[in-house]
Amino acid sequence: MLASILASGLAVGAIYALIGITYNTMFATSRVMSFTAGQLGMLGGVLGSLFALRLGLPILLALPLTLAACALVGVVTEYVAVRPVLKSLDQHLYVLSTLALALMIQQVTALTWSTEPQPFPRLLGIGEGIWDEKYWLPVLACAATIIGLEYLYRRTLVGRAFLAVAEDNFAARALGLPERNLRIASYALAGAIGALAGFAGGQLLLAFFANGPLLNFYGFVPVALGGLGNNRGAVIGGLLLGLFQQAANFLVGGIFSSVAVFALFIIVLLAVPQGMFGAPAARRV
Amino acid sequence: MSRMITRRGFALGGTGLAAASGLGLAAPALAQSEPIRIGWLAALTGPSSAPAIGFNRGVVWAAEAINGAGGIGGRKVEIVTRDTQGDPTKAVNATQEMISQLKVHAIWGPTNSGESLATTAIMARGKMPNIHPCVVNSLIDPKKYPNAFRIAPSNTQWDDAVRNYATKVAKAKKVAVIGDTTGYGVTAANDSAAGFQKDGAEVVYKANIDATQPDMTPDMLRARNAGAEAIIIWSVSTGMIARLLNTRAKMGWDVPFIGHPSLSSGEIGQLIDKPENWKKVYAIGYRSCSYGADGKLPPRSEELVQKLQGKVALQDTLFWWIACAIDAVNLVADAVKATGSTSNEAIIKHWNGLQAWPGYYGDYSYTAEQHNGYPGQDVVMSDASSGRNGTFALAPGYG
Repeated sequence: MLASILASGLAVGAIYALIGITYNTMFATSRVMSFTAGQLGMLGGVLGSLFALRLGLPILLALPLTLAACALVGVVTEYVAVRPVLKSLDQHLYVLSTLALALMIQQVTALTWSTEPQPFPRLLGIGEGIWDEKYWLPVLACAATIIGLEYLYRRTLVGRAFLAVAEDNFAARALGLPERNLRIASYALAGAIGALAGFAGGQLLLAFFANGPLLNFYGFVPVALGGLGNNRGAVIGGLLLGLFQQAANFLVGGIFSSVAVFALFIIVLLAVPQGMFGAPAARRV
Repeated sequence: MSRMITRRGFALGGTGLAAASGLGLAAPALAQSEPIRIGWLAALTGPSSAPAIGFNRGVVWAAEAINGAGGIGGRKVEIVTRDTQGDPTKAVNATQEMISQLKVHAIWGPTNSGESLATTAIMARGKMPNIHPCVVNSLIDPKKYPNAFRIAPSNTQWDDAVRNYATKVAKAKKVAVIGDTTGYGVTAANDSAAGFQKDGAEVVYKANIDATQPDMTPDMLRARNAGAEAIIIWSVSTGMIARLLNTRAKMGWDVPFIGHPSLSSGEIGQLIDKPENWKKVYAIGYRSCSYGADGKLPPRSEELVQKLQGKVALQDTLFWWIACAIDAVNLVADAVKATGSTSNEAIIKHWNGLQAWPGYYGDYSYTAEQHNGYPGQDVVMSDASSGRNGTFALAPGYG
């Protein structure tokens, strides 16, 4: 039982963590919590299945195509749902605009793909039982993403520019950084990360249009637990959430496990409102 | 001020009266030649459109067959279709349009319970003869809805068939009842568990599972540890069912799965890890749509298959959807033929007197007090993985 909890808990936790990072990546350059994050994960599974299974493309081609398509969805999100509301961020209009776009993505997928879950292909054909690739692939994808982002932010000029915009976009613009282009790039990057979550977790979640709201919901929890904008916090929060959810599934059953997850979520936020790894927001006066 | 009848006024009035009586005399003749309009509320697009697409093939074929044979007493059958997209609001609007503007003579559908729950009372107010195949028990109540007739089994009849098979054929004394977390899944699982307990079987495990839950091991382990000898499924979620079947195989557990027709959905075949994971799975089916050990359907169904060959595609739908829709159109046509009238009262009165009316899907019987017309004994269990042109093999245990 413990092995099962660990295998499936870490796998779904890694997927939640990747969706959390998707939220954070979009938030960093725009200060917008885009509710398209879960839909990007859903699209990763659906497009992966479309390219690899329905169109029969090799995995090595299906993966970059999926990532590119979702990166494009990320860019469209920036143009359609984020840019128009940036001027009135304090009114939280982005909640409405990004939710509306998320719903549109979900409905179009339901109509054009299927309302029933569709199979996702085996990617490498490695492992059985608790060592099945469907359990460790999401963890591997999460680790690769974290390493890639660390490299991007610490070792590249573009990454540093991202950090500068995230820190203070007015100052970054004053320094001559192309803030708008960087924001578009960050939405493309977020799209690719969300797609990777869905692609790596496709065998576990299947290619199903209804995965979007689920991922939106459970992907938001690690962001809140780990602290807004904190990727390391999102990873730890995501993995803990997955493990706790699976343990609750085994111990108290499906419906009650959701209650247990959100009870814990509320307790943690009451104790540390800024998240476990977030710093209290300083306000300049 | 007094009004006087002038000669001119009298002449005008007389002409008007004559014209009016002329029109009045022509009215019955018009009624005798006007088409028999059947409203068809179909969720042809949107989520859950598969059943209506199947039903629609039967509707179109039946109308063409009647009209090709000269109609009913020279009157053609006209199908007035409205796509409800599975949305109760659209179904309500279409119902009102059919009653008040299109003046249909009877309505067939909606074909899912969510829409029917919204339209049944409206049709009752309009006294509109209505046939539908929706399973929710409360949709049929001859006192509240004397116009509504069910042409398919009710949920209770499904429940009875599953319970009888689990306890009498599979000989299970202890069962696990699993539903999804939708309103239907919760209600159906509760009703089913209550039925088993009433019959003396022990419900050792009952759960409602979120259809998107990726790992079903916890629930299956609990069911096995509780000693379940059969798993009873009430869910339309093929993803959830496939995950449960894959988990059963991984556990090396050969417990039978018995329950909802979705267990036999073709989608499951694509989602299971191996074809053998779909064995020992028995889904609700119908005697008219089940083939026996000789591979043959009952004679009337075989006859229909022959008639449909080359005209109606069967391989990507369920045979019962087509047969049921044909019966619905024929029931309306038969009422008009027998009574010579398209009035609401005549059609409803005729249906209330039907005894074992021979349809392709089943033999229907209605009275003024009983509008559940489908014969309960014709609800049988099918071997879920044996789908062939929308029909299934009878599950083991039937003579």
